[in-house]
Amino acid sequence: MTVLHSAPRYQAEDGLVAALSATLGDKLLACKEEHGEVVLTVRRAAIDDALRLLRDEHDYQQLMEIAGVDYPQRAERFEVVYMLLSVTRNHRLLVKVSAAENTPVPTVTTVWPVAGWLEREVFDMYGVFFAGNTDLRRILTDYGFEGHPFRKDFPLTGYVELRYSEEDKRVVYEPVKLAQDLRSFDFMSPWEGADYVLPGDEKALTPPPAPAPVATAPAKVEAPKVETPKVTEKPADTGAGEPAAKETAKKVSKAKAAPKASNKAEPGAPEPTETRPARKPRAKKTDGGEA
Amino acid sequence: MSFSLEESPTTGDEVITNYTINFGPQHPAAHGVLRMVMELDGEIIERIDPHVGLLHRGTEKLIEHKTYLQALPYFDRLDYCSPLAMEHSYVLAIEKLLNLEVPLRGQYLRVLFAELTRVCNHMLNMGSHVMDVGAMTPNLWLFEIREDCLNFFERASGARMHSAWFRPGGVHQDVPEKLLVDIGEWIDTRLFPLFEDAMSLVVDNRIFKQRNVDIAKVSKEDALAWGFSGPMIRAAGIPWDLRKSQPYDVYDRMDFEIPVGTNSDCYDRFMVRVEEVRQSARIMKQCLAEMPSGPVASEDRKVVPPKRAEMKQSMEALIHHFKLYTEGFHVPAGEVYVATESPKGEFGVYLVSDGSNKPYRCKIRPTAFSHLQAMDFMSKGHMLPDATAILGAIDVVFGECDR
Amino acid sequence: MNTMATTPAAGSAAGGSIIAPDQAFFDSLNSEVSDKGFLVTSTEELFQWARTGSLWWMTFGLACCAVEMIHVNMPRYDMERFGAAPRASPRQSDVMIVAGTLCNKMAPALRKVYDQMSEPKYVISMGSCANGGGYYHYSYSVVRGCDRIVPVDIYVPGCPPTAEALLYGVMQLQRKIRRIGTLER
Repeated sequence: MTVLHSAPRYQAEDGLVAALSATLGDKLLACKEEHGEVVLTVRRAAIDDALRLLRDEHDYQQLMEIAGVDYPQRAERFEVVYMLLSVTRNHRLLVKVSAAENTPVPTVTTVWPVAGWLEREVFDMYGVFFAGNTDLRRILTDYGFEGHPFRKDFPLTGYVELRYSEEDKRVVYEPVKLAQDLRSFDFMSPWEGADYVLPGDEKALTPPPAPAPVATAPAKVEAPKVETPKVTEKPADTGAGEPAAKETAKKVSKAKAAPKASNKAEPGAPEPTETRPARKPRAKKTDGGEA
Repeated sequence: MSFSLEESPTTGDEVITNYTINFGPQHPAAHGVLRMVMELDGEIIERIDPHVGLLHRGTEKLIEHKTYLQALPYFDRLDYCSPLAMEHSYVLAIEKLLNLEVPLRGQYLRVLFAELTRVCNHMLNMGSHVMDVGAMTPNLWLFEIREDCLNFFERASGARMHSAWFRPGGVHQDVPEKLLVDIGEWIDTRLFPLFEDAMSLVVDNRIFKQRNVDIAKVSKEDALAWGFSGPMIRAAGIPWDLRKSQPYDVYDRMDFEIPVGTNSDCYDRFMVRVEEVRQSARIMKQCLAEMPSGPVASEDRKVVPPKRAEMKQSMEALIHHFKLYTEGFHVPAGEVYVATESPKGEFGVYLVSDGSNKPYRCKIRPTAFSHLQAMDFMSKGHMLPDATAILGAIDVVFGECDR
Repeated sequence: MNTMATTPAAGSAAGGSIIAPDQAFFDSLNSEVSDKGFLVTSTEELFQWARTGSLWWMTFGLACCAVEMIHVNMPRYDMERFGAAPRASPRQSDVMIVAGTLCNKMAPALRKVYDQMSEPKYVISMGSCANGGGYYHYSYSVVRGCDRIVPVDIYVPGCPPTAEALLYGVMQLQRKIRRIGTLER
């Protein structure tokens, strides 16, 4: 594939992948080159050794980043991705391990001190444990936060929100209550693979015909049972309630209007602070403007 | 603050034990919302435990719930001192997944404005750095340059700060010709006089040197091991600049030099930035001189929306516009890590796509995260007021650090 | 308050002399002071004058808006000409400008700073994040508006509001103080 994009250009040396896989040996599980990125998948237990080998024998001096990714459908749902950079060979490498909630990943703080916070972040966001990291505290989320927010099953809006309580004189946590939910739109075509009933279709589905033409009908939607025909003979049947005008005609308060506190005039709009010529009333024809 | 006096077992004198103070989260020299728990021996820093995350807004999670284009403005708000540099990594990551070609004028415009952003960022950083160590005047002058930069951003995109102007496939709109002319004039008539005047007050200033020279020295090995990048690694003497070594857009056509420090202290970090401003001006001038005419964004209508005028004529353009602004474009499945040289260092985006119109995962590699982690060992043994100088030289911005 | 056409001094002002606002008011004030050596005014007006004239604000820069908040103090906009000077200590400040996204982790600190400010105290909420969460409204870690934590007097919209917008917000606050104008807040 010809490279058309203008993203950072760097070239892998010939035979790099072969050399890397020779060094890593049985530590390496998979190796691919896609979109110009070399991605190595490594056995979890050997990640610290693998990265040490890459640093010492292949000059990947810098660990730039550790990213976690969550794939809930996988058996080992998390992926931890290490971004390596070689400043002498001018090349980048992605090294991956997979992990589950109960399978700790060996820490690489022994290889790079910078991994300390990066691992803390992955732990905070995904709940991946790093065996050997002596300072595995939460780092970004709130003090006393529960859960791991970047997991796909963690709701975007979380579970708690904050409010200052006038009674308690402190900030309190409450269950989250939104005025409006986040609108997420479904852009799937309704004819292919939508997993909901289109508005109006529920009527078509109700009388189940003997040979069901709609094989993929998700759930049978019961039509509301109609026993008595709806009539509006009395005003009560309309559901409209009392006439509104009667309510508004009532006087709310019998007291007089509150007396004025002071004789001072109510402050109105402030005086304009710039001298501006008062607009003349518009004449029939403009006579050369004003002022 | 815990403070207690106890008697020394040998002499019987009162000894002062270490005490811990809480620096921040609301402190004018913390450059935002940083909380540092400092353990002090007298005025000597023994240990620093920076608490970050006070501005953790869940950006990466929010991005997973937005289409690629809707997620773009989040990048402006990461490092709010250099918004366009943040967008740069993101749009390049998308383009790398799409393998999308950007017209030459679009690339030049991006480089031009990325460098303008760099100037803008360094003005803020250097101004606040000198202010943290006690000087007021240079900051006032440097902010005048920043005001000019913001005006240029406003003229290009309509927004002073959060431009959202770099788009996948190019830039959003072409700039008026007069803007390019004005930027060219501005470099000579405003940027250099103001900047050099301000710098003449600082760089040889005795107090400034006393506060910065030999503060927080970092060896080359440490700089590599702690994941330093940008001015921090260059000040350590490693000539590493992604614009040079892994050029993106038209940086490979640009002729510029990489300043490198010799002493790897706060003063060097400052001076690296000073020289970078001059080099940025050089790049900007080259961009202005060489910029070709032509389209500013890709003509691929499956990614880049059509111009409004085109929509008045063509039904197809209208449909494209509607689809792109509702559903957005789909990005082929895959994963890339794209890092660009932001003014603060390597700003990377690890983008995982599952083929849909929303990113499956977007990991942002902030520059300040690894620098701030090194705060502990950099400030060990220094005085308490040096912490502000070190912090200023790191150039930390919390929108990006905490995401 | 009018005007160029009627005032002979400014008759030739085709872009020339600048007329100070309320010139007559200041002239009479001047003559009164120099004539009697003192002024008579109501306490209400005195308080309003004092409060609006020195709105020292607490720099509560949280995120992007903080940059615009700095810009409004810098020479081009120069907010200090309105008597509004930045102050890093809550004890000595009158108004807190909440500039930026308020996150859950930061909220107790915001309230603590607010509680430490001396009365009368005002709060300007700057930017859409502080007003109501804005772009980060649906995030699990963001307070959906700083008015959930502190009472807000003025909301400045924008993302971020331009420096002019904040300046206007401060002027609106001064106007609000003038309108309330009591000893107690």
